[in-house]
Amino acid sequence: MVVYSFYIFDRHTECIYSRIWARRDRPASGSGASTRPVSDSSSSSNPPITDLGPARARPARLSAQDDAKLIFGTIFSLRNMVRKLGGPEDSFISYRTGQYKLHYYETPTNIKFVMLTDTQTLNMRNVLHQIYVNLYVEFVVKNPLSPVEHPGGEGVANELFELALDQFVKGVL
Amino acid sequence: MVVYALIIINKAGGLIYQRDFAEGLNKLSINDYLVLAGTFHGVHAISTRLNPLHSSTARSSTDSRPEPPSGIEVLETENFRLQCFSTLTGTKFLLFTEPDQPNVDAIIRRIYELYADYVMKNPFYQIEMPIRCEVFDRRLGQYLRPLNSR
Repeated sequence: MVVYSFYIFDRHTECIYSRIWARRDRPASGSGASTRPVSDSSSSSNPPITDLGPARARPARLSAQDDAKLIFGTIFSLRNMVRKLGGPEDSFISYRTGQYKLHYYETPTNIKFVMLTDTQTLNMRNVLHQIYVNLYVEFVVKNPLSPVEHPGGEGVANELFELALDQFVKGVL
Repeated sequence: MVVYALIIINKAGGLIYQRDFAEGLNKLSINDYLVLAGTFHGVHAISTRLNPLHSSTARSSTDSRPEPPSGIEVLETENFRLQCFSTLTGTKFLLFTEPDQPNVDAIIRRIYELYADYVMKNPFYQIEMPIRCEVFDRRLGQYLRPLNSR
């Protein structure tokens, strides 16, 4: 089981934290994949794709920020769809494609936690809940210096939270 | 074992078939079903672009033709499970079942066979248009009713 990336969205639909672990063209984890406001220009990963010839002329890989926006759009649409069909208290847990699996957890205050893992991973809802209760609340909400809202991810990416998240995810693997 | 509903979406994202088989999901107006089909079509396309291992999978298969990335295959929620089968021509079959329904793959394949036999071979069916084939309806009912009552 592999965790690829992790995102937090606030109630204003903004991505306040993102972290990417396994990108195969970089050694997995530990590389200090840095936090959200950096646009993490992954344009360096293009050349291997282009030499596949015109048959596969897909646009270059998206930047991490664009990825986060697409993920938000996806979970927002799916959540609305699920609520329409399954009733207002139904909630969307995960979806799987041939390549990856996306797990979703939403707190009562509308903070959304999203995790992308490989397809074999079982239900990660509890893990996301644990991240919220044991890490987010402890290190972000209870931090007296952290603002109440997190415009641009301010206050979320503190050292303790990052360190604990890293350890937690490694422990889960 | 309950199969709640079946939706078929054509390759342009239009709803061409919708039928409920059991109680369990909210009833929507036909307009909402059309919106739902279009939304799902879009989300399905986006989900193919979100592949976190894009570059590495492309590199490992330079000798053969790479598999195109697949979109959403299974969606799980607290109350139901949505299995999506996308044919090579882009038609999507969405099957809504109970969260722990086994063998959905086999059911959806069988539905695809019924579609091929009774819709595509119907000389009066206009391709990409809503499906109004009595035999297809009947066969689908015959196939799914015993599954639901088991």
